[in-house]
Amino acid sequence: MVIYAFVGVSVLLLTVVSKSHRTMNILSIILPASYLALTLFTLVYAAIPTYSLGGNYFLVDHLSLYEILISAFLFMLAALYSRGYIEGSIEIHEMDRSSLKLFYVAFNLLLMAITYAFFADNLALFWIFAELTTAFSAVLIVILNAPKNIGATLKYVFITSTCMLFSFIGLILIFTLTENNLGAGTLNWSSLMSIASTLSPAIMFAAFIFTFVGFAAKSGIVPFHAWLPSAHSKAPAPVSAILSGCVTSVGIYGIIRIYAIASQTSELPKISWFLIGFGLMSMVIATLTMLNQVNLKKLIGYSTVENMGFLLVGLGIGTPLALFWMLFYTLAHAFTKASLFFSAGILHHQYKSVRMEHIRNVFKFQPFAAWSLILGTMAIIGMPLSAIFLPKLSILLESAKLSPFLLFGLLIIFLFVAGAFGIFMIKLLSKKEEDAPGVKRYEASLGMKIPIVILLVTVFALGVFFPQQLNNLLNSIVSELKIG
Amino acid sequence: MIIASVGNIAQILIVLILATAAVIIMKRDIRSLIKTYSFQSLLLALMALLYFVETGSLTLLFLAIIILVSKVVIIPRFMGVVQKRLNIKRDVKFHFLSPVTSLLASITIVLFVYLAFSSILSELNRFNSSLFLLGATVGMSIVFMGMIVVFTRKQTLTNIIGYLTMENGVVLFSLFLTELPLLIEVLIIVDLIMLTLIATILAFGIDSTIEEFHARLNPFHDSQKKASEEIKDLEAEQQ
Repeated sequence: MVIYAFVGVSVLLLTVVSKSHRTMNILSIILPASYLALTLFTLVYAAIPTYSLGGNYFLVDHLSLYEILISAFLFMLAALYSRGYIEGSIEIHEMDRSSLKLFYVAFNLLLMAITYAFFADNLALFWIFAELTTAFSAVLIVILNAPKNIGATLKYVFITSTCMLFSFIGLILIFTLTENNLGAGTLNWSSLMSIASTLSPAIMFAAFIFTFVGFAAKSGIVPFHAWLPSAHSKAPAPVSAILSGCVTSVGIYGIIRIYAIASQTSELPKISWFLIGFGLMSMVIATLTMLNQVNLKKLIGYSTVENMGFLLVGLGIGTPLALFWMLFYTLAHAFTKASLFFSAGILHHQYKSVRMEHIRNVFKFQPFAAWSLILGTMAIIGMPLSAIFLPKLSILLESAKLSPFLLFGLLIIFLFVAGAFGIFMIKLLSKKEEDAPGVKRYEASLGMKIPIVILLVTVFALGVFFPQQLNNLLNSIVSELKIG
Repeated sequence: MIIASVGNIAQILIVLILATAAVIIMKRDIRSLIKTYSFQSLLLALMALLYFVETGSLTLLFLAIIILVSKVVIIPRFMGVVQKRLNIKRDVKFHFLSPVTSLLASITIVLFVYLAFSSILSELNRFNSSLFLLGATVGMSIVFMGMIVVFTRKQTLTNIIGYLTMENGVVLFSLFLTELPLLIEVLIIVDLIMLTLIATILAFGIDSTIEEFHARLNPFHDSQKKASEEIKDLEAEQQ
């Protein structure tokens, strides 16, 4: 933990003093890479779960390490991608060179806030770090010179922080409840888990609903999703990838933790259906909006809403098997989504827009981006061989045990999602029109292509080959959560 | 006898806080909104002070001081400066609800929260103290009233005040329900100040065109440029 903070602060200081884009970029790659190495090291050599930093404010357990692995990996690739992308943005006057430093500082701060949010054992600390992720990611969205970005960011900040206040009320309720039972209040997740079964179910249920509101807003669950598509589509592509893969999973992580506590009480069936209901609502509304979308990044953004909904359904089903695959789905979704946003970023620099009417002759100008979009689409709709296929299938099978209607509904939704993506991509990629004279090909640098290749290879490799270590890791997470 | 009078004062304060929230919902003039918010925070600080006198817990004293410094002085002053520079005096347009309907809606909310809380929270030990239910209900209602302000007003400055009101409601709620550790209270205030800062800086942007936004930020840029030029000069001299 101390090492994390030390590396983070030193990289930040170096970023502040460094002058060229190159050094700032390399530093931003080093930070997530070192986090990745540290996390792997802890995972292999340290005794887990363990408290860190004295006291019991921070807890290192398998779930937090797993989420940090995903985040650090994505941040590393996003930093690699940023160099080419941000240079391009500066060239087309989307961004000023003077805001480069701000961009990288906020980028690294965001990674640190996310890491500490995952490590926090005290729920109030987790809340504060989650709020900080909102603040830093807001800076990253507003960095481009466009009035629309400011509007999108304001929407983002207001919706999430307003809802997060409700979460805090839920936390106060939990604190009061424990004070009532134990004499001294606590918000530590591990101690809450041990006494959860003695807490009053009615108040716990109320507290769960309050906390759910805030964390759902962070992860873009309907009806608190209004900020997500606009923020994701206006942000620079690497930032969209991070928002979609890491920041939303902070919200889901919070819901998992609170759900684990609440599931120890007798209200478990009610809470499960509550989660499944919200999940289904998100999926239905996101899918209907996706059907007539003309903006590529908005389409991908709504797909995030839909996938977050599916994660909630998986969580709500709550059997160990569903939980196992739901956790794996988090990883598969984050990687696939990042590759899609990265490809969309290349198209954005080619056509200065991601709207359907401005994009034409993709195969002629950007064959690489076209193919990566096709592969990414195949992965995200859950075609066999992609990493999303197996978790989707397994959660569907589990849902059938709960209710055949649920399975039926989910299948129809997936059909529509596949349709929406398919139609959009066919329309987008098959447009062949006369070019306006003087259109030049945008040369995407190697640094922009490598992350996409790495992500897609990982996604399809995980689809056919499931490493034993990952299996063990996920199993230990499920056994630590004690749900179901 | 003393305890009873403390209870009475607390009741009066709670009602006054609720009244300020109603004023915030009704007012359109931004400067008086900021003043009302500052007054509301003052009442909240008095409330914490009152509890400190009654229980003697130092955390509450610190809480009162923090509220006094940050919410009564710093944030309103800052907002006042921003308001002058933006030169927006009133908001005229509303989403969904006009102020009058908002007020009616918030009356309904107070009643609803009272009903919900009197059934849910009855399992807690503290429930028996007479002030508990009143304080918790008013705190929660203010959170909802602040939310109405956030979602029905169009001006960013008013939205920020709505958010701050919500936050005051949360503090009032926590004051009556339990005693949170000081560290958490401090961190929340820091978080609050940061979000206010970000939102206000953004407010500059949304209320002007992008060129004006940059012109306003320009003094900063210029000073940065000058600094870097000076450094270059120095380096040249050394060579």
